Order: sequence, then structure tokens, then C-alpha cells
Amino acid sequence: MFLEISNIRKSYGEGESRTEVLKGIDLSIEKGEICVLLGPSGSGKSTLLNIIGGIDGADDGYIAINGEKTADMKERALTRYRRKHLGYIFQMYNLIPNLNIKENVEVGAYLSDKPLDTDEILRTLGLYEHRHKLPSQLSGGQQQRTAIGRAIVKNPDILLCDEPTGALDYTTSKEILTLIEDVNRKYGSTIIMVTHNAAFADMADRVVKLRDGQIRKNTVNTVKKSAAELDW
Amino acid sequence: MRNPLHKRLPRELLHEGGKYAVIFLFLAGMIAFVSGFLVASDSMIVAYNDSFEKYNIEDGNLEFSASPDSTVLRELEEAGALTLYPNPYKEEDTAEVDSTLRIFPDRSEIDLVCLMEGAIPAADGEIAIDRMYADNNDLHVGDTLTLNKTAYTVTGLVALSDYSALYQSPTDMMFDAVKFGVAVVTPEQFKKIRDTHLHYSYGWIYDTAPGSDAAAKDRADDFLEDIKDILTKRAEAQAKEAEEEITAMVMRGEDPSGYEMPEILTIENYIPAYSNQAIVFTGEDLGDDQTMFVVFLYIIVAIIAFVFAVTTANTLVKESGVIGTLRASGYTRGELVRHYMTVPVAVTLLAAALGNIIGYAFFVEPMAGIYYKSYSLTTYVTLWNAGAFLKTTVVPVILMILINFLVLQSKMKISPMDFMRGNLTPNRKKKSFRLHTAIPILTRFRLRIIFQNIPGYITMALGIFLGNFILLFGMALGPFLTHYGDTIADHMIASHQYVLKTPEDTNKETAERYCMTSLKTVSDLRQPESATIYGIEKDSRYLTISPSEGQVTISSAYAQKFRLAEGDTVTLKEPYGDKTYDFTVGEVLYYPASIAVFLPSEDFREVFDWEEDAYTGYFSEEELTDIDDDSIAAVITADDLTKTSRQLLVSMGSVATIFQIFSVTVFILMIYLLSKIIIEKNSQAISMTKILGYSGAEISGLYIAATSIIAVLAMVATIPLCNTLMGTVMQEAMAAYPGWIEYYVDPIIFVKMFLLGLGAYLIVVLLLWIKIRHVPMADALKNRE
Repeated sequence: MFLEISNIRKSYGEGESRTEVLKGIDLSIEKGEICVLLGPSGSGKSTLLNIIGGIDGADDGYIAINGEKTADMKERALTRYRRKHLGYIFQMYNLIPNLNIKENVEVGAYLSDKPLDTDEILRTLGLYEHRHKLPSQLSGGQQQRTAIGRAIVKNPDILLCDEPTGALDYTTSKEILTLIEDVNRKYGSTIIMVTHNAAFADMADRVVKLRDGQIRKNTVNTVKKSAAELDW
Repeated sequence: MRNPLHKRLPRELLHEGGKYAVIFLFLAGMIAFVSGFLVASDSMIVAYNDSFEKYNIEDGNLEFSASPDSTVLRELEEAGALTLYPNPYKEEDTAEVDSTLRIFPDRSEIDLVCLMEGAIPAADGEIAIDRMYADNNDLHVGDTLTLNKTAYTVTGLVALSDYSALYQSPTDMMFDAVKFGVAVVTPEQFKKIRDTHLHYSYGWIYDTAPGSDAAAKDRADDFLEDIKDILTKRAEAQAKEAEEEITAMVMRGEDPSGYEMPEILTIENYIPAYSNQAIVFTGEDLGDDQTMFVVFLYIIVAIIAFVFAVTTANTLVKESGVIGTLRASGYTRGELVRHYMTVPVAVTLLAAALGNIIGYAFFVEPMAGIYYKSYSLTTYVTLWNAGAFLKTTVVPVILMILINFLVLQSKMKISPMDFMRGNLTPNRKKKSFRLHTAIPILTRFRLRIIFQNIPGYITMALGIFLGNFILLFGMALGPFLTHYGDTIADHMIASHQYVLKTPEDTNKETAERYCMTSLKTVSDLRQPESATIYGIEKDSRYLTISPSEGQVTISSAYAQKFRLAEGDTVTLKEPYGDKTYDFTVGEVLYYPASIAVFLPSEDFREVFDWEEDAYTGYFSEEELTDIDDDSIAAVITADDLTKTSRQLLVSMGSVATIFQIFSVTVFILMIYLLSKIIIEKNSQAISMTKILGYSGAEISGLYIAATSIIAVLAMVATIPLCNTLMGTVMQEAMAAYPGWIEYYVDPIIFVKMFLLGLGAYLIVVLLLWIKIRHVPMADALKNRE
């Protein structure tokens, strides 16, 4: 077992306004899997992703990667954990606006002992010609590709994607999904992708359906579609 | 219906409570200080202006070489359409403190005396001394002062209305309230004081007061001509009478050598009130200080207005989506501009209101105290001051409105759609400039942060410049004045310089004769002032001058003040006559003490038509005990030459500390507020770098280091700039006074300034570090609208 998620609970608010967002999540993900966390708004999928990513803490339970529990980690260790194992892609690309495209990718490369070649990544992502531009000079799809570049350049064990196509049109979304799939295939990264689009489930190895903070279904696809074949 | 957006304002104030509180307190403090100062100063000005009538201050005074007879006085009064009042004085050194007292008989007609504490002398052995002189020398009512072996009891502390600034001589560069004071005794006691240092001084008051300074000048010039005419005619009549008497004596077969020549009456001093520093300096300085403080306040307010503008511009970026939506819904640009301006303007208004209250309640007295520390002012009453309110409240608020309005108006010009897209600079072609990839990514990152925040950094650099300027003033003033005093003492011609009334020989071998006279400078560059012309003996042991034949040596003070160099021609004129003298500068001698010209004695005597063996006095390394005290007009010592620096040290000493504290506050405030904006502006990027796995140290290294580079660069770069500016300002300020103080800053001061600035910055770094630590990672998770 590569990633172990055990009895994760999480609540927000106090007293009467207290809302339990995650009500004891247990989940195991194998190395190299594409895992899609599917669910409607408020189901707790993004919260779960943030807890896996170490940017939010659980009230109870633990996350273990290769047997190393994040709950036991202090802030410094958590930073190291993110630095060593994780890549993050958000719906809003969160690029650093005053750095150009190449520099944004380099910001990711800097964190790794064995980063991938930045220029090669830029070529793979079709961004090489745009490498000297600022994020604001690019389209949404190009910005999201930059964010993917920044996430994968450090060759992370796990790539966390929070609605990565949420702000993109159909064609661009498919391009981005294909890229994510390529990353998984080429570099062997484990992909955990949060989405509310059920069609994405077809490209996953594992599909976890969440509702009201609980796992309603955890299935392993025996037959997968490629991202290019998806339709919605 | 009230604009519902206003409901945000208290929340905004609360949300940014720390920032607004700091700015509020700083502004309120600054305004309290300036308002207190203006009220004190204006009340002082009113008291000072009223004192002319209240204390019947003279229109001028003159001093005769001997006691004038009533005929001369009557002729002068008629010619000048004025009344002359005897106002004699005697000068004596004090035994208890190292100082000279100018003693007047109590006055009842002119230049009346204001009693500040105790009582006016009523009997022999009693004396009332100047209040400020007493303060500076720690003298109190009841103390004893010994003048020429006679003990006097101090019965009162007074202010003499014609000595609000204690100038011993009108040619002095600065007054001296430490080693010079004025005093009054009863007329009976005055008569009993020896006449050795008696001055036949008279004050005058015109029958009809001149309407303006220009009219006063014309009257004074005319009166001086009248005096010259009357005294010349009198001298001619006396000479004719003497000639006739001598002829008669010869005719009678008597020895004419026994004939005692009548004393020729001349004037030794002539000072119309408008040019009498002891009277007018205070009034001029009161006004000048006001301008300085008000300009200073406006600069601070303008910089804070820019800080607000940069903050608001940052808020506009954050809220661009909301603004776009509001504009699209029908909110006008004006409504939104007003909305975003409200908080800065309200903070300024409240700070001004509180500042004024504090200023009136607590600062007037301490500020008046600063004046009482410098000037021997009569009593004052605090007066409500609309001008101060206007300057410290209305103008700062207008300044704040104007600057914020202009910045916001230009930012709000873009379309609602551009706001919604977060495209706040639609007209500017977005282009990333390249940084060489050989530069490490983190360095490029820092450089990009700097380029992104140029307006903020420029404002910060301006703040640092201002801080450094005030700091330089606060730190350099004391050492600058001390250095001046030391330099003068080191470069004195001789430790004792005797000025004699009548020639008298001495047996001291080290004593060397010199000639001296006084002329007035003539220059397009500066106001006329007194220059001392020295005749120096050949092969002098005290001063080596070697100008080429027909040329003169001038003092470095003269050269610097009047921008003269070798080869230039200097023109000087008689102080009370029209004759002018042209000299070619042959060399410049490092002599910082005064505006002086040095000639070989032979040349001096020839130029000024003096007898072959005439001289003025002696330079000497030791005291000349064999010269009769009555023959000595004055002994010039280091104390006389350093009175300017000494007085400025007393007057400005306490202010210097205030300036230092203030400048450090400016440093911390400016750097913190602006770097805080930069961090807030980049909070999403900071949050993202945290998520990516950058450590706290690395992130601080990026965002704090960028600010550090600019802050340190600005500190270093503005120090020489401040020094140049301070040099120019000080030299121009000093040029208004007679004499010259060479601008000098000990280089160690610059090091200290930098270290102090750095210390202030380290406090900011700590605050920024905490701020960066608290940027939540959740910031990156928020979907920007």
C-alpha cells in the first residue's frame, strides 16, 4: 500500500454551526494509480485532498505515505513532505504573476533533488515558445499547463489535482486530462484528482465516490478509457 | 438611502486595525507636535510684536565716543525728528560664572524691562539678570554675583525688551546667552560701578513712526547723514576754536603744548532697530521656524498619502472582480472613488482633530519652552489660532484627499469588464522582460518582486530618504557645532588677542602688534556684513601670510561664503562712509573663525592711511598683565569666536534627540507599511510557494530579501544625497547670518546612521517574518473571482 488514509474526520465551525465535512474516511491508493475522487459540491472531496496534501489538518485519523504518517509531522516536516512527495494543480492555476512561464516551472524544479529538464517539460506541454511570457499573457489552458509543468517538474510521487479543468472549456479540458494521463504513464506519478464531472471516472484506475463526507463507493476500473476518449 | 458600501468601512478599519492605528498615532503625534508648536510660536509672535509698543522698544540706538553735550543732542533730535534717550551701560565679567554682564540702570522711558521672577532691584547691591542667561548658568533669585569684586544679590529674573536675542555685538554671527547676559541695577548703583567699560549709548524713538522697513531704512540712512554732518561741523568748529586758542596762546607768549585739545565726538555704533539682531532676530526666527515645521508636516502627510494610495491600489487589485460587478450594476466611478478614499481621509481627519487637541492641551508649553531656551522673551498668553488649525488640519486633509483622489481616479478609469477580468492595466502592453537564465531562479524571483513593486519601493525609498535626512540633522548637528568650535579654537591666530583703546607697550616677548579695522562686504551674492581687516607684522610668529605684491590673503570663511578664489577681486566699504576698497585675492588662508582679510602691516597702514607705527593691539600666547585694564577695549578669546556654536548647541540640543527618535519612527513606519503591502499583494503567491513545499526561511528569503535589498540600497544611497542636500540647506541657512560655519559631518556619523537605520529595519524584518508565517495556505485555494 502506497498511500493509506485512515478514519479521517474533519469539522468546521463551533457549537451549533459545527459542520462535519469528513466523517471517517478510509482509503488506500496504490503507487502509480489514477484515483478520481468524485462527488457533488460539499461532499468533502477538496477537503480530503487538502488533508492528503498536508495543507489542512484532520481532527482525527491519519494519512500515511509509504508508512510515514503526516499527523505526526511538525510544520517543518510537513513542508518537507510536500516538497519531497507532492505536486499540486488547482482549478485556479495559482501561477506567480510576476514570474514568466519558464520561471514558474523553475520555481517547482528548485525544490527537487532530481528535477526533470525544464525545457523538455515546456516542450512537452507545448509552452516552449511562450516561456518568456507572463501568465497573464496566456490563455487559461496554457496557464493550467504551466501549473502542471510546475507540479511535475520536481517529479513528485503524488500529483494532487483539484478540479484541474474546472475553469476550462471542453477541448482544453481534454488536452489537460491527456497531459495528466501522460504524466502518470511517463513518470509513474500517482494521480489523485478531485472532480464533480462523472465522465472523468472512466480514465481512472480507482474511482471513489463521496457524498456528505463519506465514501459511498470505492471501485477499481478493470477497463479504462484514455482521456481522449472521454466525452461529456 | 445611504450607500450600503459604507457599512464596510468600520470592518475595513477593524480588519486593518494595526496598520491604521500606527498611521493614526504617527499622524496625530506629528500634528500635535506641529500644532502645539504653531500655537506657541504664534502666541509668541503676538507677544513679541506687542512688546514693541508695550515696552516702548527703541527705533534705533547709537553710541558716542564720549558723553555728548546737550547742544549736540538737541541738534540731533531736531535733525532726525526724534527723541534721544540715554541708555548707558557698563560691562563687567562675573566671578561666579565665566561670562560678561552688560549692566543698565533700570529703565523708565525706553526699552522697558519685563520682570519674569522676583523683584526689580531697589537698593545698592541688588541686581536683576536676564532670565535665559540665568537658566543657562544655573543662577537663581537669591544667588550672589560678583562684578569687579563687588557682590550683588540677584533679586529678579528679567527680560530686556531690546535684548530678546542676546547679541553682544550686532556683528556677531549668533547671540550668546551662555557667556553674555544683560542686567539692571538701580541708577544709583549704576553710577557707583567703575567707568572703565562705560558705553555712552542712546536709544531713539521717531516722533512719527516710519510706516515700513523701507521707510525706516530711509529715515535711518538720512539720520546717519545728519549725525555725520552735525559731528563734522562740531569737530570743524572745535578745530577752529583750538587753532584760534593756540594762536592766541602763541601771541600771548604762552607755551601751546599745555593746551588741552577738546575731545572729538564720534559715533562708535549706529544700529537702527530694523537691523538690530538683538531686537529683530527673534521675530524673524519665529516665522522661519514655522515655515520649516509646516513644510515638514506636509512632506510627511504627502508621503503617508502615497502610502495610503499604494495600499488602496493594492486593495483595488484584490477586489477588482467586486468593483467590476458594482460598476456593471450601476455604481458610478465617483461613488467608488469616494468609498475607497473614505478610510484614509477619515483617519487623517481624526488624527488631525486629536492631534490638535493634544497639541493645544499638552504641547504648547513645552514648545514655548524651546523658545524660552533660545530667546529672552517677555511673557506670553496662549491664543486660539485659526492659522494653526488650517495648517495642521485643513491642509493635511486636503492633501490626503487630493493625492488619493488623483491616484484612485486614474486607477478607476478602466472599464467594468477589465475590472472583472482583473485586467487593471489594459492600456499597458503586458510584456515580460527577460532575465538571463544563468541567474539562479531565486535571484530572478527576487528581482521580479522588486520590478513588480517599483511604485511601493519608490515611496519606501522616499520615506527612507526623509528618515535619513531627519536622522542626519539629529545626529550631525551636535558634532558639527562642536567640530566648528574645536576647529576655531585650533586655528585661532593667538590664544589672546588684545584690542586696545589707546596704544600701550608691553614687555611680554611673545606679544606681537597687529593692525585691525572693520569694513563692510560688497557682494551681489550675499547681504553686506562686517569683515575684519588685519595688518600682520612681517615674519609674524602667529600668522604666515604670503600674498603676492599688491594682493591680500582672505580667510577660508570669506572664500567659502562669498565663493571667492585666488585671482578674484573683493570689494569692501567703510561701515559708516562711502569709501570703497578693492583687493585682489592672492591666497586663501584656512581661518574658519570669521570673514577676514589679511595684509602685511605696511600695506595695511598705507591703504588705510595710518601712521607708520600705529597699531590696534597685540596677539599673545599669554595674558598681558602689564597693560592697564583701562587701555584694553576687548580681549578676543576662543570663547568669543565659538559663541555661535555654543549657543546653537544650547538652543538645538534638546531638539536633536526629538529628531533622532522621530526619524527612526519614520524608518520603521515607512518600511513596514510598504513591505507589508508587498506581502499582502503576493499573499497568494506566498501561499502557493508554501504549498509547493518552500520552507518559511526560503519564502522569507524571497520576499523579505527583495525588500531588504531595496531598503539597504536606499539607506546607503540616500546618505550621500542627504549629506549633499543638508550641506546646501545648512550653508544657505548659515549664509543668512553674519560670519560663516563650514559644513562638516564626521564620517563616523554616516556609519552610525546606517547602523541605526539597519537596526530599525531589523525590527521591521521581524514583523514581516511573522506576517509571512501567518499567510495561510488556504489563500491559494480561494478561487479568485
